[in-house]
Amino acid sequence: MLLEVKNINAGYGFLQILRDVSFNIDQGEYACVIGPNGAGKSTTMKTIAGLLSPMSGEIIFNGKNIAGLPGNQVARLGIGYISEDMNLFTNMTVQENLYMGAYVIKEKALKNDRLDFVYNLFTRLKNRKDQLAGTMSGGERKMLAIGRGLMANPKLLLVDEPSFGLAPQLMENVFDNLDILKEAGVTILLVEQNVTKALQVTTRGYVMENGKIFMKGLSSDLADDPHVRKVFLGV
Amino acid sequence: MTESKTGTVIVWMKSAGGITVTLSILIAIIAGIDSGPYIIVNTIVTGGMLALVALGLALIFGVMNIPMFAHGEFFMIGSLTAYYIFTPLAEYLNTSPNSLLAATAPLIAILGAMIVGAVAGLLCELLIFSQLRKRSRENWVMNSFLLTVGLSVVLINAHQLLFGTEFKGIVRYWGGRPTEIMGAFVSRDRILVFVLAMVVVGVFWLFMKYTSTGRAIRAVSQDQTGALMVGININGILLLTMALGCALSAIAGAGLLFLYPSYPAVGLEPLYLAWFVVILVGLGNTAFALVGGFIVALIKALTVEYIGAGWDFVIPSLLITVVLVFKPSGLFGSEVRGVLDL
Amino acid sequence: MKTNDSNMESGLADRIMDRLCLTPAAVAGIILLFVIPFIPPFNQQYMIRWLVAAALIGANAIAFDFTIGFINIVNFGYYAFLGFGGYTSAILAVNLGLSPWIGMIIGALFSGVLGLLTGLLTLRLRGIFAACMTWFLGLAMMGLITKMVWLTRGPLGLRCPQLFETSSNLPYYYLILSLLIVIYISTKWVTRSNMGLAFKAIGQNMEAARTSGINPVFYRIVNFTLSCTIAGLLGGFYAHYYGVLTPELLHTTKTVEVLAVAYIGGRGSLWGGAFIAFPFIITMELIRSSLSELPGLNLIIYGLMLMLVMIYYPGGFAEFFNTYLAKPKNRFLRYFLSGIKDS
Ligand SMILES: Nc1ncnc2c1ncn2[C@@H]1O[C@H](COP(=O)(O)OP(=O)(O)OP(=O)(O)O)[C@@H](O)[C@H]1O
Ligand SMILES: [Mg+2]
Repeated sequence: MLLEVKNINAGYGFLQILRDVSFNIDQGEYACVIGPNGAGKSTTMKTIAGLLSPMSGEIIFNGKNIAGLPGNQVARLGIGYISEDMNLFTNMTVQENLYMGAYVIKEKALKNDRLDFVYNLFTRLKNRKDQLAGTMSGGERKMLAIGRGLMANPKLLLVDEPSFGLAPQLMENVFDNLDILKEAGVTILLVEQNVTKALQVTTRGYVMENGKIFMKGLSSDLADDPHVRKVFLGV
Repeated sequence: MTESKTGTVIVWMKSAGGITVTLSILIAIIAGIDSGPYIIVNTIVTGGMLALVALGLALIFGVMNIPMFAHGEFFMIGSLTAYYIFTPLAEYLNTSPNSLLAATAPLIAILGAMIVGAVAGLLCELLIFSQLRKRSRENWVMNSFLLTVGLSVVLINAHQLLFGTEFKGIVRYWGGRPTEIMGAFVSRDRILVFVLAMVVVGVFWLFMKYTSTGRAIRAVSQDQTGALMVGININGILLLTMALGCALSAIAGAGLLFLYPSYPAVGLEPLYLAWFVVILVGLGNTAFALVGGFIVALIKALTVEYIGAGWDFVIPSLLITVVLVFKPSGLFGSEVRGVLDL
Repeated sequence: MKTNDSNMESGLADRIMDRLCLTPAAVAGIILLFVIPFIPPFNQQYMIRWLVAAALIGANAIAFDFTIGFINIVNFGYYAFLGFGGYTSAILAVNLGLSPWIGMIIGALFSGVLGLLTGLLTLRLRGIFAACMTWFLGLAMMGLITKMVWLTRGPLGLRCPQLFETSSNLPYYYLILSLLIVIYISTKWVTRSNMGLAFKAIGQNMEAARTSGINPVFYRIVNFTLSCTIAGLLGGFYAHYYGVLTPELLHTTKTVEVLAVAYIGGRGSLWGGAFIAFPFIITMELIRSSLSELPGLNLIIYGLMLMLVMIYYPGGFAEFFNTYLAKPKNRFLRYFLSGIKDS
């Protein structure tokens, strides 16, 4: 098992959001977490990425408990996190942002390899490599955020709402690229508002409500589940 | 007043303020050219060093969000260190001349000042700011500002307690015959110190632009969460930033030792002037600190020349107040958002 | 003794104390401050001089805290407003022969108007910019006063008439003590009113305050103007007590002194700084006079105390008092310290 989350309790200050959240992802798996707004999906991601320290519980990554480790050390262990609000360096160029993504890689050649890889996935970024990130369009920024998250060649990729604010065509492009990554052997944990799409592309899913894991199963089963269909798909 | 009317008035005031300030700067430059090379040369020398102090100030504000009030005290630490390194060296050289040492002694003094300044900055971050950061982030800008106020008082009086109030200065660094530039005689010290300032600014700029660490510093200033996500050790960067910023100020103090002898409150004037620079070009805006340094130095020099000594606080202060009223984000815009509460 | 007295006649005394925003302990403290100049060793003139200085700093700390502790603005040019009031009063007295008493009032009004103008300019800016601006304005004013020698005699110092025709410090002490009490009660009244609520709201969360219909700039300006008016009044007292004014008075280091006392006393409490000023200033003066071969030591202690309080105990003495001292088990003591009666 690549990642095992055990009984996590987490929140902001005195406000507890996550209650006893447990789940796991195998090496090479493509899994998703779905749930209504405010369920705590992003909070879960932040906790794994080390931006939030859990009150209790364990997060085992590659056999090591990383709960409470600061974000920069988590990143060094090989967890890439693409956050909901992207956290780009707005006054840097596209290329500088991408290089920052490979901050933990020291060898120049390796960095450039990764850069080529990302530019191949998102040719649009290559065309705009000298533009300031802050002046890019919303969709372009999303691509840049994903690209930056890939630069360090993570073993586990946490992606929070990659399709948010994207036009259908761009969205397809993003999901295609995630598929390519999956084929390349990257383990992916996806959080997505577009439930139909999420359940289509992933193999396994967790449903989160009110800070708890409410349901889990194969994505195809979840897509057929009456509760999921009623709440998320409006059928 | 209706919404749009208020808007128009504010726009008008901003442009009027902008015009006032730009005009004063233009007048200053023209008057500077008119009043002969002496003023210009003077401006360029002090402006270069002032830019170093302002650069440190802007860096620390931009990355750490600390409005440094104690920045002048690192200038003081720099000049004090240079004094205590250079004086014995100069005495030694008096008894046993050695041309190589004579040429490098000032550099040794300035290098020493830089190191001591950096270490002092490190200690301040470790003992003071990181302690506050651990405990509370609420109201950070104001609280850290007040901390630096306390720090300034402590450092000034520690100097008085340990080294006394007398002036600790030197007559010259390199000496030698003055060079004639555009009809004015300029001492070699001034020229070399100016060159030094430009070299430091250049190295600093290259460091920030092209090294991975320099980029990391900029990344932290733009988005701390993002920096954490890509694996940057934020605390390490903050430490480094403080050390860098303070070292820049210390270099300026050491470089100008032959003009400004060290004494407890020697840092106050560079502090004010550096703040003027930083507000003139926009808080946290490192890119224009150099330009701002020259502008403020020129305004100050002209005030002394045409209006008289003693007015050099009044006029720049009022001018900066005007800038703050009409264009609080600075002449060259700024990366810092939310200057206005409205 | 006093405790029992106030306990006996509960109704009226309690209501009066509540109106004046005082607890029994505060009343006892005030009475102590009124009689202290007769208790050795405080009955010596130099001690009374220190007490005057302490009361003056205490009163300043209240006015300063009124701004920083409520609307969250550091008036870094506080002493410039104080000096402006002082100079106004002194110049009126010297040049026009106006009575210092009237001069003090006019000085206060002048400072208030200057504060209003400054506020109109600065208080729409974010906190730190407002602090910078008051700082630079203070610098500019100091420079102006230094340079306007024909009016202010510049660095030579302006001699001005005293309030009382006596060499004793005692009348001054009672005057400043009364001023301190009046300033405390009036600022406390304001902060207890609806306006005080608005101040607090603005200081804590500008955005929330605005969305609930409070105009932050208006309230900030009102607060700032009031604080500057008090500063001007105290400046008048300073001028006519010490009898000489120099431009140095307007310097920021003076403001730092008040800032330190206000923070050590407890930001946002008003009474904390006023209370702590007495032990603090007297200790500082003792250090300064007994360790005169170590100049600057007292200021080092100032700075260190300010930093330590800011980092480790931001609530200052007032918070310490409220958490550990104000609610002892004993009922009488509790009533005495907190003014709260449980029935
Ligand atoms: N920084 C914060 N401080 C306080 N509360 C927060 C913070 N961030 C999120 N919350 C609260 O935590 C709860 C869960 O938020 P979270 O962002 O994890 O939801 P989510 O499942 O990602 O929702 P969405 O689908 O809208 O992104 C919400 O009620 C939110 O208000
Ligand atoms: Mg979310």
